[in-house]
Amino acid sequence: MAVAYKILHWFCRIILAGIFLYSGYVKIKAPLEFASSLSAYQLFPAKLIFPIADYFPWVEILLGIVLLIGWKIRFVALAAAGLLSFFLCILAVTYFRGIEADCGCFGSGDRISPFTLARDFMMLLPALFLIFEPQLRMWRQTQPQT
Amino acid sequence: MRITRRKLLRSLPGPFAAAALWPFASAQEIKTEQILGGKPDAPVRIEVFSDFQCPACRSLYLDTMKQVLRDDCPEDKVCLIYHEFPLKNHQFSRLAARYSLAAQRLGRRQWQAVMESLYTSQSQWSIDGNIDVIVAKAISVEDLQKVRKLIAEASINDAVNLDLTLGNQKEITSTPTMFIYAGGKEQKIVGGLEYSLLKEYIDRVVK
Repeated sequence: MAVAYKILHWFCRIILAGIFLYSGYVKIKAPLEFASSLSAYQLFPAKLIFPIADYFPWVEILLGIVLLIGWKIRFVALAAAGLLSFFLCILAVTYFRGIEADCGCFGSGDRISPFTLARDFMMLLPALFLIFEPQLRMWRQTQPQT
Repeated sequence: MRITRRKLLRSLPGPFAAAALWPFASAQEIKTEQILGGKPDAPVRIEVFSDFQCPACRSLYLDTMKQVLRDDCPEDKVCLIYHEFPLKNHQFSRLAARYSLAAQRLGRRQWQAVMESLYTSQSQWSIDGNIDVIVAKAISVEDLQKVRKLIAEASINDAVNLDLTLGNQKEITSTPTMFIYAGGKEQKIVGGLEYSLLKEYIDRVVK
């Protein structure tokens, strides 16, 4: 069982790190593209669009690197989950307001839709596993062996 | 013999040319007649793939690109290129594209006038397809005669096809789609773009 947890732990870390590294890279490569998506959400003040577009991708890159290194993994996973939840909320609000906007998650041409919302929710799962892994292990140990 | 980057790129096979090109964004040759505004060596190059019958393309031209043409192109900050990308589901957009390309051959002034007229009166000609009336309001009688002659030529049709091929190569699926080349980066933006945002970006690139 411990081996299975170890594999799952590494799988979640690599997946999450890959998502953040790729997403950050795409945004650094095309800042105007990301700024345009942020503007389309109609949620941020105009003055904040470019500062967010400039710094947010680096936060993603940093999270990706730290996830790979494995430093303070639960806190980093918590930060990753917070960031993913924040963007999931923004996308959901934009979608339910009926605004046709690009997701801006991994480049252009990706309209916010139930699919993008479901995909972003799925990204949250590895982060949640890393946060609650100790509790999950403990809970498994308290279960009677069959 | 002086070997320019362009000559070197021509001599290399595709993937090597792409690698040699890095960090410069595009190897595509710019034809002067395709430039709607600005100079080819401007620090920011915007290439728009547009359909005359598409409402979002109308907004992009009238609300954003007209301001780029007025404010940024004369200051040599931006080179604006327009490509025709008539969508199949728009009945008259190919005809409109042919009129536009015919006007392009007369000069930038006539081309801009025809484009503005076509976008402004989009709701009118989209119903009856009477584009000639709209174009007649934008240019002189002499120019209109020339445009009428030109749209009958096969070369205009070929030019539309060439733009469509280029758009397909760039994996365009909807209009407007624009490519912004600046600081060695290529950015693909699908849909509209506010002028204020674009202006801020241009000013950051051209300091």
